[in-house]
Amino acid sequence: MARIGVFVCHCGENIGRTVDCARVAEELGKLPGVAHAIDYKYMCSDPGQALIKQAIAEKKLTGVVVAACSPHMHEKTFRRACGSAGLNPFLCEMANVREHCSWIHEDRDAATDKAVDLARFIVEKVKRNVPLETIRIPVTKRALVIGGGIAGIQAALDLADGGAEVILVEKEPSIGGHMSQLSETFPTLDCSQCILTPRMVEVYQHPNIKLMAYSEVAEVGGYIGNFDVKIRQKARYVDAANCNGCGACQKACIVRKVPSEFDEKLGKRTAIYVPFPQAVPNIPVIDRASCAYFKAKAKGVKKDACGKCKEACSKGAIDYEQADTFVTEKVGAIVVATGYTLYSIGKDQPEGLRGYGEYGYGTIPDVIDGLQFERLASASGPTAGKILRPSDGKEPKRIVFLQCVGSRDPAKGIEYCSKICCMYVAKHTMLYRHKVHDGQATVFYMDIRANGKGYDEFVRRAIEEDGARYVRGRVSRMYRDGETIKVQGFDTLSGEPVVIDADMVVLATAIRPQPGIEQLAQKLSASYDAHGFFNEAHPKLRPVETNTAGVYLAGACQAPRDIPDSVAMASAAAAKILGLFSKAELEREPTVAKVDAALCAGCFHCERVCPYGAITRIEVRDRKGNLVKIVAEVNPGVCQGCGTCQATCPSKSVELQGFTDEQIWSEINALLA
Amino acid sequence: MKELQELARTLLSSGTVGVVIGWEEGPRGARPAFITDAADSSRLIFDHRCTHNLATYLSPRRPHMARLGKAAIVVKGCDARAVAGLLRETQVKREDVVIIGVRCGGVAADPAGAKPLTAETVAERCPGCTAREPHLADHVVGEAQPEPPGAPTRDARIAELDAMSAPKRWAFWQAEFARCIRCNACREVCPMCFCERCVGDKTEPQWLESSPHPRGNFAWHVTRALHQAGRCVDCGECQRACPADIPLGLLNRKIAGIVADRFDYRATDDPTVPAPIGAFSMSDRQEFIL
Repeated sequence: MARIGVFVCHCGENIGRTVDCARVAEELGKLPGVAHAIDYKYMCSDPGQALIKQAIAEKKLTGVVVAACSPHMHEKTFRRACGSAGLNPFLCEMANVREHCSWIHEDRDAATDKAVDLARFIVEKVKRNVPLETIRIPVTKRALVIGGGIAGIQAALDLADGGAEVILVEKEPSIGGHMSQLSETFPTLDCSQCILTPRMVEVYQHPNIKLMAYSEVAEVGGYIGNFDVKIRQKARYVDAANCNGCGACQKACIVRKVPSEFDEKLGKRTAIYVPFPQAVPNIPVIDRASCAYFKAKAKGVKKDACGKCKEACSKGAIDYEQADTFVTEKVGAIVVATGYTLYSIGKDQPEGLRGYGEYGYGTIPDVIDGLQFERLASASGPTAGKILRPSDGKEPKRIVFLQCVGSRDPAKGIEYCSKICCMYVAKHTMLYRHKVHDGQATVFYMDIRANGKGYDEFVRRAIEEDGARYVRGRVSRMYRDGETIKVQGFDTLSGEPVVIDADMVVLATAIRPQPGIEQLAQKLSASYDAHGFFNEAHPKLRPVETNTAGVYLAGACQAPRDIPDSVAMASAAAAKILGLFSKAELEREPTVAKVDAALCAGCFHCERVCPYGAITRIEVRDRKGNLVKIVAEVNPGVCQGCGTCQATCPSKSVELQGFTDEQIWSEINALLA
Repeated sequence: MKELQELARTLLSSGTVGVVIGWEEGPRGARPAFITDAADSSRLIFDHRCTHNLATYLSPRRPHMARLGKAAIVVKGCDARAVAGLLRETQVKREDVVIIGVRCGGVAADPAGAKPLTAETVAERCPGCTAREPHLADHVVGEAQPEPPGAPTRDARIAELDAMSAPKRWAFWQAEFARCIRCNACREVCPMCFCERCVGDKTEPQWLESSPHPRGNFAWHVTRALHQAGRCVDCGECQRACPADIPLGLLNRKIAGIVADRFDYRATDDPTVPAPIGAFSMSDRQEFIL
């Protein structure tokens, strides 16, 4: 016979004001199987918990029901109290008579009746509770960071400095990400390369960091504390162990006019290249698509057409036969820091987006995007830091900047604000004025969002000290008139249409997630929003976690982020992971699914519907070792207790522990009785 | 017929299989046959009376079948879809079964049905059948057969039911289910009902009342039909086995139509096509998610 103790909490006045707690205790005390029922002012307080512990000992309780607040609030508190009194914590349940009752009702009698009902059905559930043991899983104290931009670099360094081993995977030949392309950074105008490249070198030299550049995550298996990650190292055609980074191969390369990705197609590179001189690692890669050797091979030319780089290399590091290799690494946690890409101003757009026909779909050569302007302004850029327009190399005297191109424009497919454009456009106008003293910058804006430390002051400086002219309004059309670009817009403050002559136009295009991010999210079983940004577990309280345990977020893969935000997120994710790694074992609530192998028919619908890949197949054998059948089994480390398998199983052979059909059924029956 | 018998003889005498599951002549028309001796192969028949879906004997929950050894099974095109279903749901391994496909010109609703097959005697699933040629087969025997006689009738009946008001439709099915005696023949004959323990037999909690009572009957038939959603191969065996003549085929057909409409899935004998229950596609309609 069950001996349940019921503890009714007044929560000060919160419950007691509307619910007659004494009557609830009295009514519950009459139920069969209830051995003890009392009410108390603050059940969560020390003396309140003592009442529970005392009753467990004295009345030999087999289960505890606390009728109080939401289990979100205090279930852990009361379960811990029960545990310390020797009762299995999972024999304790809460009936929520505050949020579900006292706070939302006025009639005292009716609310009290409802509180009795709420506690009554939980009593029926607890009668069917069984002791459950906390799940303990070992933790691999090694983290994977996906993406080597500033967020990934920061996360990797913080983790490595905290004593964890880190594998940093970067798909490009060098780490550094978009930040390495920037000229100066807001709101201090310090040189981006100057603050970033030392961090890149630190990553390279850190004993705890294994850098895997030019690599991609191919597969992710396992679960928190125990991920198995298959990484594809793309063929560089250069033996990294032998290359000393002398650059002779690049000098020898005969293909010299490949548009440089790093210079946003404004500069040229060779077919064997490092993206930029400060690249880490400083090991070139051969771009197979433009390499003369590989092109000749593809055409079936028997005699080697080129091979100049191989001849030039004194270390014999060029290896045309190199192939992609795969390595599998065990890690305990994963940081996603895949960053962003810019909204394309061209005609071809991904599904759901529409380009800007009114701006010529990027066909006007002197209409460029923000990153291209960064390269023009950068000392390491194609113009060595001189602002020269792409079409004829002349210095533009009039530049028009357009904010919110693609952003905040549901008709074009993106309703969100890209967050960084207001600031970098202000920065661009300043850089421009600092380099072209008689140049006039005009900015079309919707409103200025400069909400960061020193941000508004920065924008004011652009306007007041560096003479940027801000026009509130949108541009409806842009066309060429000889060497001039006519920018036709509307000044919404004066209410006048305006036409501004420009030598160059810079479009502050929207921030979008990296292409392929959905596939990565699917590999990680992490969720993403309609735009492809990763979803955080909670927008306020768990901003750097995903809903998949052990997978964390840093930087612009989650939403448009500036550098300070990205760095803060990266450090936060690192702190979360170091916290995870500080324990020898992970503890998990045992409210996970469990298969009854005797009943399972092995149809594996559960395997197909499980969003976490928690179902595995095991063999059932008889005593002689003959295979009887293959059935499903739940890996408790991976299972998140969502119950999808339980709902799908046609024969109800898998159940969520702590929420079995029998328990729920008895609750409903108690309510209907 | 000779071709089929010869094939069975070869398979048995060579030891490739331990049993050939087919049809033979019985006292009341065609009946399932389990040939374990090559000498008995001449008992095998195939004609328009072989309406049974023999795939149900492949269920791993029939241990007496497993004792006969590896099986060869004779399937019509429609039955092959059930074998595909069993493969898809990992109940059978492909290498553990030899599939002998027969070309079908339609079968009679009643295995005792006399010749020739007419629009009156043909099984209601046959007119307009698109699965008469088995693809999932190791051997295909027999000549191409003529189209089954008659015209499809079931969709018109479903449309009639759909056109009814909800209370009228409710009354129709209540009346049909009221005849149910809960003999579970529909479940036992179904090749896709292979659970170790049917949810209908579950106690603690008992989801479905097991006595023939309107509430339990309704719950049972709705549960059975829903558990077949995207799995039913439309072999008509449940309806044929029903001693109370409940038109279960209509329920199955209705649900198959919904599944086809929503998930673009139709019963197929290609086991690599994923069943809609565990397959997610970006093109799945999601308007129910608010």
